[in-house]
Amino acid sequence: MRRRQGLGFWLALGWIGLILLAALLADLLPFARYDETLAGPPQSGPSAAHPFGTDGLGRDVLSRVVYGARVSLGVGIGAVLLGLGIGAPLGILAGYRRKAADAVIMAVNDVAQAFPALVFALAVVAFAGANLRNVLIVLGVLGVPSWVRLIRGATLTFAEREFVLAARVLGTRDRRILWREIVPNVAVPAASYAFIGMAVVVVAEGSLAFLGLSVQAPTPTWGGLINEGRTLMETAPHVVLAPSIAMFLTVLSFNLVGDRLRSLTDVRESGLEPVRQAAPALPATTHPVRDVLLQVEDLRTHFVTPRGLVKAVDGVSFTLERGRTLAIVGESGSGKSMLIRSILGLLPGTSVRGGNVYLAGDDLTSYTAAEMRSVLGPRLGTVFQDPMTALNPVRTIGTQVMEPLRVHMSLTRRQARAEAAKLLASVGIPDPVRILRRYPHQLSGGMRQRVTIAMALSCRPDVLFADEPTTALDVTIQDQVLRLLHRQREERDMAVVLVSHDLSVVARWADEVIVMYAGKVVERGPAAEVFARPRMPYTEALLQAAPRLTDPVHHRLRVIPGRPPDLVDLPEGCAFRARCAYADERCEREAPPLFEDGHDRRRYACWHPRTQAQDGTAAAPSSDVTDVAEGAESGGR
Amino acid sequence: MIVLHRLIRLLVVLVVVTFLSFVLLNLLPGDPVTQILGLSATEEARAQLRQELGLDQPLLVRYLDWLGGLATGDFGTSYITRMPVGSELAERLPVTLELLVAAQVIALGLAIPVGVAAARRAGRALDQALTALSFALLSTPVFVLGVLLILVFAVTWQVVPATGWTPISLDLGWNLTSVILPAVTLGAGQLAVYARLLRTDLIATLQEDYITLARARGLSPRRILWRHALRPSAITLITAVGLNLGALIGGTVIIETLFGLPGVGRLIVDSIFSRDYLTVQGGVVLISVGYVVVNFTVDLVYAAVDPRIRRA
Amino acid sequence: MAGSGSAHLRPRDEVLLRVEDLVVEFPAGRGRTVRAVSGVSFDLARGETLGIVGESGCGKSSAARALVQLPPPRSGSVRLDGLELTELRGEALRRTRRRLQMIFQDPISSLNPRRRVREIVGEGPRVWDLPGDRVDEVLEAVGLDPATAAVRRPHEFSGGQCQRISIARALILDPEVVICDEPVSALDVSVQAQILGLLEDLKDRYRLTLVFIAHDLAVVKNVSDRIMVMYLGKVCELAPSADLISRPAHPYTRALIASIPGGGLDLPPADQLISGEPPSPVSPPTGCRFRTRCPRAAARCAEEEPRIRRIGADHWLACHYPETPPAPA
Repeated sequence: MRRRQGLGFWLALGWIGLILLAALLADLLPFARYDETLAGPPQSGPSAAHPFGTDGLGRDVLSRVVYGARVSLGVGIGAVLLGLGIGAPLGILAGYRRKAADAVIMAVNDVAQAFPALVFALAVVAFAGANLRNVLIVLGVLGVPSWVRLIRGATLTFAEREFVLAARVLGTRDRRILWREIVPNVAVPAASYAFIGMAVVVVAEGSLAFLGLSVQAPTPTWGGLINEGRTLMETAPHVVLAPSIAMFLTVLSFNLVGDRLRSLTDVRESGLEPVRQAAPALPATTHPVRDVLLQVEDLRTHFVTPRGLVKAVDGVSFTLERGRTLAIVGESGSGKSMLIRSILGLLPGTSVRGGNVYLAGDDLTSYTAAEMRSVLGPRLGTVFQDPMTALNPVRTIGTQVMEPLRVHMSLTRRQARAEAAKLLASVGIPDPVRILRRYPHQLSGGMRQRVTIAMALSCRPDVLFADEPTTALDVTIQDQVLRLLHRQREERDMAVVLVSHDLSVVARWADEVIVMYAGKVVERGPAAEVFARPRMPYTEALLQAAPRLTDPVHHRLRVIPGRPPDLVDLPEGCAFRARCAYADERCEREAPPLFEDGHDRRRYACWHPRTQAQDGTAAAPSSDVTDVAEGAESGGR
Repeated sequence: MIVLHRLIRLLVVLVVVTFLSFVLLNLLPGDPVTQILGLSATEEARAQLRQELGLDQPLLVRYLDWLGGLATGDFGTSYITRMPVGSELAERLPVTLELLVAAQVIALGLAIPVGVAAARRAGRALDQALTALSFALLSTPVFVLGVLLILVFAVTWQVVPATGWTPISLDLGWNLTSVILPAVTLGAGQLAVYARLLRTDLIATLQEDYITLARARGLSPRRILWRHALRPSAITLITAVGLNLGALIGGTVIIETLFGLPGVGRLIVDSIFSRDYLTVQGGVVLISVGYVVVNFTVDLVYAAVDPRIRRA
Repeated sequence: MAGSGSAHLRPRDEVLLRVEDLVVEFPAGRGRTVRAVSGVSFDLARGETLGIVGESGCGKSSAARALVQLPPPRSGSVRLDGLELTELRGEALRRTRRRLQMIFQDPISSLNPRRRVREIVGEGPRVWDLPGDRVDEVLEAVGLDPATAAVRRPHEFSGGQCQRISIARALILDPEVVICDEPVSALDVSVQAQILGLLEDLKDRYRLTLVFIAHDLAVVKNVSDRIMVMYLGKVCELAPSADLISRPAHPYTRALIASIPGGGLDLPPADQLISGEPPSPVSPPTGCRFRTRCPRAAARCAEEEPRIRRIGADHWLACHYPETPPAPA
């Protein structure tokens, strides 16, 4: 995938190319030799004959800077290649082989890191002679420990990936695994380090030269030029500025290229991440307020991605009353999690929200950030999917559970602690006082999810939003957590919004269901009715695609061909039509509205709804034909 | 138990480092005897001096001898100046330490607000400006920056002295004016490194679920940033500070040369030029001990910052 | 539960893969040991699908990796068609790899992001010096269009398509046994159904023997002939799929089924069948490993580990006090 690297990257690469070329062709360039004294009047400023002026002995500064680049770049490139040549094989070996080889290499590396590198560079060069070869070797060797560490780290991250295991299962020999599976992946970060390494070496060589410990006069070096120019600072500042600027630009360019290359390391982007660009604003609206706890009207959430505008939530409406559970069902990318975040106002900065959310008649979408904060917690509670990431790893359970109590309910520390212990006990955590002093990593996943539920309940919210609360948990723990949520709803007379991809969970615990597809509601109604008699073909297919314990063994599941639509490039008409067995021309032209079915709460969006009497299984179209369809469109994007 | 284990490991590292440096320094060409007596000295005079200095002993014996002395705090006596190396180092150390501490205070003191400000507005103009600025600082070698700062502040504006050192015991005010420019020069690069690290980690932390959930509990952005996000984002920063402090003890050489400060780095360079092995060796010990102690402290700080590490 | 024994193994000449008394352990730091798999035995007849089900930490994935000797088990025997794999090293072990392939859980992580699909799928034949002309055939067999798919890299595909590529990579070597380690748990329901259907098709077409590992009992039941339930490194129950679901005897199996919402079976609510959370595999309970969560546990369960015994035609159980008394053998 080609990605824009930005102007800076190309400028930096251009500068490196330019200076490299100049250094190589220095002998052919039309200026005085670097050691020709009195090529012009001493200490003269920039002029046509001497663009960078002359130094104290009347030597051409430009010439000296260009010849100095030979040393700087030569040492920079040479030392990095040397360090890479020694360090990379050791790093790969340590990272891939592990065990003994790793232990030995890393122990040696530990010692090498404690070694005062610069002092040794100084000592070796001072004693063994200050020439290009010695400087290059010393700086190269001193870089080896870093190279070993970096390459080992990069190797480790890939050696643990399953594709390496897969290669070994195939019977691939180690040598081939290293070359084919590991090296190509390590190469990109290594190239990035190489450029940053060159920046480091150029500076180090400059430091040595500055101390008079690099290539000796008359050969000019940048560090040496700066050191010489220092004495003329007051009378001829250009003598010191010219090499300083050259050096600065070169180091900057190496750093910049290295930094940009590192961003290439991640090849796993979907192109659907929000970018820093606001989506077109949506018009402000109001709707008649109804006498319910939570009323969502025509809610929309749009954001801009590198590939285009995504309408993550596209006109969702529903109402919810106390003591009820509303489930939002859909596959990944259907917008169900985005809907929750949209209601709560927790969207990424650049996304744009339209429509209205009324909580007991108050329009939350008109609230300021500060007003919204007084609602989040006390009136709206939230539980997320992964209990491993839902708690702050560096704060105790007690601090985290007590925080909303202290912030929103202004309890004293002592009161908050007592209340937190009560809360933990109420969600079934044994020995709560002890748990308050623990850190999240000391608790199991199930216990952590109980803690996050306790936190969400702490300020007695009216509505609890639970986004896939049990997806990361084992099935026996899932049952416990769902029971807990249900019991709390009863005790506190709350409403619950449960987001889930698991139809059996929804069927068991929800009163009402919303089925989402590509950001839109495609069906909604009382859970029992929707599951017994789905009207929208997608709902029907989803129900038949999920395996059930009651199905016979080797039962062929309904296959929904193809895959969810590309949110950036939604088709005209019904978003599901490409995968739908009943689709016709009308579905291509016109998006179906939400039709009412019998009563106000039961709705579906389809031109060809399944009829009430229909036996779902019999009506399922033959799946054999459609199975390859996903492959056929595998060209995808 | 774990602390003890680490201590033993560090001690081993120290012994290995000093031994290697001892061997390396002796392997390098150049001879202190020649340095002292000059090229014209007779062979007898050389042999006598060699014996006097203990240079006729095998390398290992000399190392063990030196190590034994070190255990009682004796760094040996310089072959060249005939002065105890220990007192020489002790005299220079405060200068280097003050420089280091001042540089780190400047670097960290600015890096934290800069990193936080950039991360909060990631991708916007302020962040881009700060990122560009830190990139530029990062790419300026200390001697280039030092020269420029001297040019501006000492030569052109003449607000601080270009070179020289006033000890803190003599006059605090003059001491501060003599340390400010070197400390800024040394700290600038660190500032850039720290600010970039903090920014990157903070941006990652701010995308964590527990931050979104903290927002979902109605906590203020300020509270979330300072109480929830900063500490988990500080791990890489602490590592960098540790590594830098260790590496910088030797890295002050340039600064001390440039600004004419009588510090340890300058002493080591001078000793290298005069082939003063034992003084160089003493400097190596000082730097290695510094590195080891700093890293040991960093490990302890880790545990304080991140409870997950306490178990391991 | 959570018992040992090998009474349930069939005669050697009737099975293709026979695993006996498998033990997998690995260090957990500070001199402690994770007892991931502790004395598990099972076998597979040719063309059969064995489902292994259990919650996280039950040792099902560790067992799968021990089958392919990556890494080899601490002790125990893995016989493929009579050949003892645990005794093989180096080249001799490598030679057997063709016969035993594996499909992993994470469809993205199991494909090298820097290689093209043709290289990934063609890697097997190249390693084995086989003609590479079957790449198109297997790509087609897994439902991908070779013309467009082969030149692309993994990140250009969806999770379900990546899993198809993984399957193609395993299939091209004509393996006898394919071990599927949670192959559908990272996929959406609609894609999951596609992959399950594909596996069933390929199993018939290439006469495969499958080990199908998953945490979702309904998924396992859908594809397996027999199901083995594991808990904390031990076998609880082993039976033909329909039998296991309709007549679960082990308290843990019963809890597992009851925990699935809308299982549609006549069991008490799950919270009456199981309590608490699984103990750490670093220090598993004595005797029956399930006893700490079992409502039926008695003193004997702490002292004596239940052996696997027969309670039905091909229904095997490791429990001292099962819900349904064992039928006369």
